[in-house]
Amino acid sequence: MNTLRPGDAILTDWREAATRFEREIAKAVVGQERAIRLVTIAIFARGHVMLEGDVGVGKTTLLRAVARALGGAYERVEGTVDMMPTDLIYHTYLGEDGRPRVEPGPVLRQAQDLSVFFFNEINRARPQVHALLLRIMAERSVAAFNREYHFPNLQVFADRNRVEREETFELPAAARDRFLMEIGMEAPRNAEARRALVFDPRFHDTDRLTEEVGAGVLDHDRIGAIASAIQHSVRAEPAIEAYVVGLWEALVRPAAAGIRLSGLDMERLIQGGASPRGVAFLVRAARVRAWLEGRDWLVPEDIRAVFPEVMAHRVFLEPVYEMRRAEIVPELIRAVFDTVPAP
Amino acid sequence: MRALLLVLLILVSSPALAQVRGVELRVPRAFGYFLGDLVQVQADIRVDPGFTVQRASLPKPGPVTYWLDLRTVSVEERREGDATLIRLRLTYQDFYAALDSRTLEVPGFPVTIESGGKGGLTTATAQIPAWKIGVSPLREVQPERRDDPAEYLLPDGRAPRLDPQPATVTALGLLALAALALVPLARDRAWGPFAPRRGRPFALGLKALRRVKRKAEGEARTREAFLVLHRALDATAGRRLLADDLALFLTAHPAFRGQAENLKTFFAASRRAFFGRETEAAARAFPVSDVEALLVRLAAAERSA
Repeated sequence: MNTLRPGDAILTDWREAATRFEREIAKAVVGQERAIRLVTIAIFARGHVMLEGDVGVGKTTLLRAVARALGGAYERVEGTVDMMPTDLIYHTYLGEDGRPRVEPGPVLRQAQDLSVFFFNEINRARPQVHALLLRIMAERSVAAFNREYHFPNLQVFADRNRVEREETFELPAAARDRFLMEIGMEAPRNAEARRALVFDPRFHDTDRLTEEVGAGVLDHDRIGAIASAIQHSVRAEPAIEAYVVGLWEALVRPAAAGIRLSGLDMERLIQGGASPRGVAFLVRAARVRAWLEGRDWLVPEDIRAVFPEVMAHRVFLEPVYEMRRAEIVPELIRAVFDTVPAP
Repeated sequence: MRALLLVLLILVSSPALAQVRGVELRVPRAFGYFLGDLVQVQADIRVDPGFTVQRASLPKPGPVTYWLDLRTVSVEERREGDATLIRLRLTYQDFYAALDSRTLEVPGFPVTIESGGKGGLTTATAQIPAWKIGVSPLREVQPERRDDPAEYLLPDGRAPRLDPQPATVTALGLLALAALALVPLARDRAWGPFAPRRGRPFALGLKALRRVKRKAEGEARTREAFLVLHRALDATAGRRLLADDLALFLTAHPAFRGQAENLKTFFAASRRAFFGRETEAAARAFPVSDVEALLVRLAAAERSA
């Protein structure tokens, strides 16, 4: 039973489209198969994505390639310290006649058609901007020019680099919780990809590189409907439900689940987080992964494949451990998967 | 002469010092001090109740004269009848290199006593009088002539031979105790005989499977049997093993590589049983008897590994 039922021919077609989409992206971004797969999952789960990584590993290139392959209107802003929420919504300038003009800003310019909103260096923007973004992400709507704007197809991609801490603003927990995934990107490890990235002139011109990606591989207007069809068609058995709840419990209360990590006080490690919304997101992403793998039922591997990206940023550690988050959380997640039985 | 010698007793009764009732000095002996000896003195000052000594007025430890140092000063105060007794204990050290026996005077000093009443602070002075000690030389002034100057030195005193027996016994005893303490340590660290023996999860799984076969029926039986094998695999791997981890597991535990195909079939069947809502098909693809046969083979591989 490794194929979908014939009645789901549309889903099968779309799965092929998704594979094509991944192939197109891989033309521009080499050695990032996992990141590409996760972004694809996020697209079909209708979730917002945060990319995180060092400078120059290809975050922006990946997002530009995705935006191109996805089709639909695309807007991009760069986060800066002096950016204000109104800068996103309104564009103010002096017209040729010397009169001040107010026109729709980056968010509104493409009106309802906007499908990819790309926020570069999000942690450079101030909390006021994060708050606006929170609303756009959560409700896919914004109020401006005395009316409501709705963006039914909107997907927010953001990136931040984790090297600098000066003049940056940590995203509030509520905003981070709105992101479906936080994907960590690293430079590819395999030597061939590295050589190509450094020596092949093709990779030096990002503009030409992204143009190689086939435009509009996916019909962005219909992704919403397909996403919902995927969620309805992929089954979750009681065993998998118990597994997810077990993982959730072990993540929030690791001491009670019998998890011990060296040098950490497990009783006091976790402050909170792992919201029900987060776990719902987890299942949503896992369902998309099952569909991409050609199944219409969930298996534990689906959960495991998306767990770190979906859950890691939703776990809040005690302040003493927060600075060591990057090493503690992956270890905790690994221990959780080593502990919770499946089936 | 060990008895305390009363050196001096002064009773002053001038009106200004009415609060000081008497000063008494006691020394163990007044003579027979050699170079370097410590001289203990006890000064008892009787004062009216409510008076205490003013600490700042006490002499500071340090040189008193060129031949005398004050080493320590301590004070204790207690009630005695209707008076307060202030007892100073002074330790001097004599550095006088005497050539003959002679008497030297240790200078006295004043001590201020005070009483903080309602009307303000009342102070008075108690004079510790000067007193005398007799010092003696250590050696003769004109010793007998000797050819070898080294002979002027007297031989060292004879020290008694120490018996090493008790120390040896103690050392041996403590050594034995240390060796005994190794036992709990080894237990805590799982060293040597306390090292955990490698469990035999598959052998245990076989036993559990027999119980399952007795108790469960139908679909539950298949699921329970699968669970038994899953738990045995988890225990062997040391973590929860999912179907996708099979290749990694076989790399880490090459002993079970012979059963790779069977394990693959099992994982596929288990997936269908638990997550694919097809327990029946799974039971046909991998019946309980197959689970048992696989467990037997895995247990055999486990023993030989």
